Amino acid sequence: MNAYKFLADGAVSPFAGFRWPVGAWVEAGSADVCRLGIHACRIGDLPFWLGPELWEIELDGDVVAHPRKVVAPRGRLVRRVEAWNEAARQDFGASVLSRTRTRFGAVAVLGGYVGDIERHLATGRVPLAAFAAARAAERAGGPIEYERERSRQAAWLADRLSLGTD
Amino acid sequence: MRLDQELTCAQVVEIVTAYLEDALGDADRERVEEHLVFCDGCSTYLGQMRETIALTRRLEPEHIPSRLQDELLAAFRGWSPA
Ligand SMILES: [Zn+2]
Repeated sequence: MNAYKFLADGAVSPFAGFRWPVGAWVEAGSADVCRLGIHACRIGDLPFWLGPELWEIELDGDVVAHPRKVVAPRGRLVRRVEAWNEAARQDFGASVLSRTRTRFGAVAVLGGYVGDIERHLATGRVPLAAFAAARAAERAGGPIEYERERSRQAAWLADRLSLGTD
Repeated sequence: MRLDQELTCAQVVEIVTAYLEDALGDADRERVEEHLVFCDGCSTYLGQMRETIALTRRLEPEHIPSRLQDELLAAFRGWSPA
């Protein structure tokens, strides 16, 4: 199956520090790659793992689905999703801010999240802004609303970046 | 990460060594990584810990000048836990 993977600048994995080659198969458990498997995102998982570069990855072998990711024994980077660039990051942040302001801007306490999101975006912390929006939603309506806000973020990304469906 | 599942920064700092040693279960590992995506403070701390561990591993006994090694050994011989 094909999935997606957020990486740091230079196609480096954010947690293991592994520099991914493009096009070559990488086996889980080989040097510096997570021994537990190659981690990747379905579209719905993307908002939880936002990072500087987005890549499409082909997974092979038994792909195991987890609540927030899929894990496979091997994978290879297929292409970088160039549409995930600075402009897209800013627009994504703006969409998160606008939705939160519309829903909760006038609500006591929850309105405070709007200012938080503005501050996070002003300092380029888009993942934190997206997290804050989901937290505002959760405080308003419980865990299901957290998931719904994350789903809306995923839908925005799929649409803007023209990503295939799950 | 939802409120009911969220790790606080203090909790992340507490288990960061276990994380770096690959000693956490899958669920806890994922909770740590999900926190790191949005928390600059913990990401920076993790990076510093990782560097410290790498440096410590690189510092094999043969890299320590022998006089310093003698002094360190003498110091440790006289040391006992408080
Ligand atoms: Zn933290």
